[in-house]
Amino acid sequence: MNLEIVPISRKEFLKEYGILFVRNNCIFYTMVKVSLLIASVIIVAVMIPIHSSLGSSRTLDLIVYPDGSTHISTQIDVDPLANNYELELFGSTIDNLVVVDENEFLLDVDILDDSALITTFGSSIIFVDYDIHDLVSKQNRVWTFSLNSPSDFTLLLPKNSAIVGMTNLPIDMQLINEQNLLTLSSGETEIDYIFSTNNIFTPLEQTDTTLNFDYFLYLLIGGIVIIIIIIILITKTKRKSVKSISETKIIDPIQKNEIIDTETIFKLKPNIREDDKEIVKFISSKGGQVFESELRKKFLQPRTTMWRAVKRLERNGIIEIEKKDLQNLVKLRKNIEEEE
Amino acid sequence: MNTLTFFVIFVLVFGILFTSLINDVYAQNNPDILIHIATQADKQIQNQLNEIFNNSIPVEIKLLYDKGHLSVKSLKNSLPDDVEKSKKDFLTAMKSFKQISKIISKSTSTTKITTSEISEIDFSSQLDRLEKYIKTLKTISKKHDTSVDFTKVYDLFKDARNQVNNGVGNPSETIDQLKYHIISIEEKIRNSSSHGLSDRIKQFVNKQVNSIEEKLEKALESGATKTQIDKAHKLIEEIRDLISKNQISDAKIVFHELNKLLRNIELSVD
Repeated sequence: MNLEIVPISRKEFLKEYGILFVRNNCIFYTMVKVSLLIASVIIVAVMIPIHSSLGSSRTLDLIVYPDGSTHISTQIDVDPLANNYELELFGSTIDNLVVVDENEFLLDVDILDDSALITTFGSSIIFVDYDIHDLVSKQNRVWTFSLNSPSDFTLLLPKNSAIVGMTNLPIDMQLINEQNLLTLSSGETEIDYIFSTNNIFTPLEQTDTTLNFDYFLYLLIGGIVIIIIIIILITKTKRKSVKSISETKIIDPIQKNEIIDTETIFKLKPNIREDDKEIVKFISSKGGQVFESELRKKFLQPRTTMWRAVKRLERNGIIEIEKKDLQNLVKLRKNIEEEE
Repeated sequence: MNTLTFFVIFVLVFGILFTSLINDVYAQNNPDILIHIATQADKQIQNQLNEIFNNSIPVEIKLLYDKGHLSVKSLKNSLPDDVEKSKKDFLTAMKSFKQISKIISKSTSTTKITTSEISEIDFSSQLDRLEKYIKTLKTISKKHDTSVDFTKVYDLFKDARNQVNNGVGNPSETIDQLKYHIISIEEKIRNSSSHGLSDRIKQFVNKQVNSIEEKLEKALESGATKTQIDKAHKLIEEIRDLISKNQISDAKIVFHELNKLLRNIELSVD
């Protein structure tokens, strides 16, 4: 008796000398369920904005007064199912705190050091306004604004102030009533400014937004081009497969004529098992060739059992196995030799 | 796996990446603004150096200024073609100017003071901030049609401004009066708008209490002590009673207590 030890998984790739060959792409197909993968990507895509929105600032606007005190206005998305929301303030010296919800109802707030516990009771958006004295320090003539912001923010500097030092790049800048309005990105920011009696305000030239726009445009065009290329590739691949199918369809009748009928096969191979005979009949009914997956579906057999049956038929010289589209194509042989 | 699946995955992944790329690109490029800020800073530092040192600028500062000034020049030249270089030039220039400002400040003053230490004396800024505060309250008042009278507050603002601008009277006293009135206005608005808020809180608390009751049942099954569960049920009864009597503020307090107890129950079960 010729016993063959076959590993449980991916036996198709076990070659005759017993070495286990595993194709990387097949690992992907085997291990990753397509539906699961798509569902995961969709969940990630949906969760990213939700995750980044709940409990985070939608807007953050700061106004620095000439005495260095700063007014903060922020709009925050909060969990409508929560009773309260703990807001981290930018310091502990707070004045004139007002918190309202989306319906402009004044909400109760308890301040503890540099955090505020806001009783939201079902609100989904809150608007917080307060003055703070911890963000600006002064040494001689130089005022220093420092903030570690969790989000991008705008900063309106006082009238007649001139920036003389900065630690990071601004996103944008406008001049409003002789006041610099900067848009800055999240993270640590330190800006030094002085008050100058000299005429420091030169009109801000028309901002060259073309560069900005260009980058955006290039990215957009790039993205569209990639999508188009992929669509073309997909269409071409489909056409090819359609062609090959049609070609096979043309060839099929010729092959059909050449296929030996099942009765002859069974006469030539009388020792064939009954269940294997059913497989042969099915292959024959399908024009002499089927994918192994089709056989599994038809006979409701596990992958291993069907693979064994197919291998048995191959050993008996009844069928031959070909690889097509990364699948096993099982074909009835045209020349079947009589069993000895 | 068919090609359509690949395509769907690609679109989703590309969509996620593309949105983050847009933000990134937007946040990093606005070249003319960089030139404007750097040139302004250059001029200011130059003025300051001339004012303080005249023609005898210390070598250390001179070197820093030259470095900053050259970076501003390079920034102008590198735009619009080399955005990356312009960013580097901008940061180099601004850091050099910042260092110069620090050195100058240290040489003339030893202590660094925070705003809270100086805000007391700047009545004008204080009034600006209070005005913004009252403006916010007025918007809320208008929205809820509270008919709160703001006349007295605006009169006080007028008086305080006059006192600050003309240097007469005691602006500090007027500002204290203003603060007192603002607090009472806020209280009035809170009371006037409380009806609408109460309705929303009632709905919220009722919904939450129902879900808490379900949680308590599960907690009891999971081995929470009966004493704790009974206590929670008592609090729920109390909340319902307070809500029916329209005592929303008290209901809120008991609700917070219930939430604390629920957290303890959940912890004991875990």
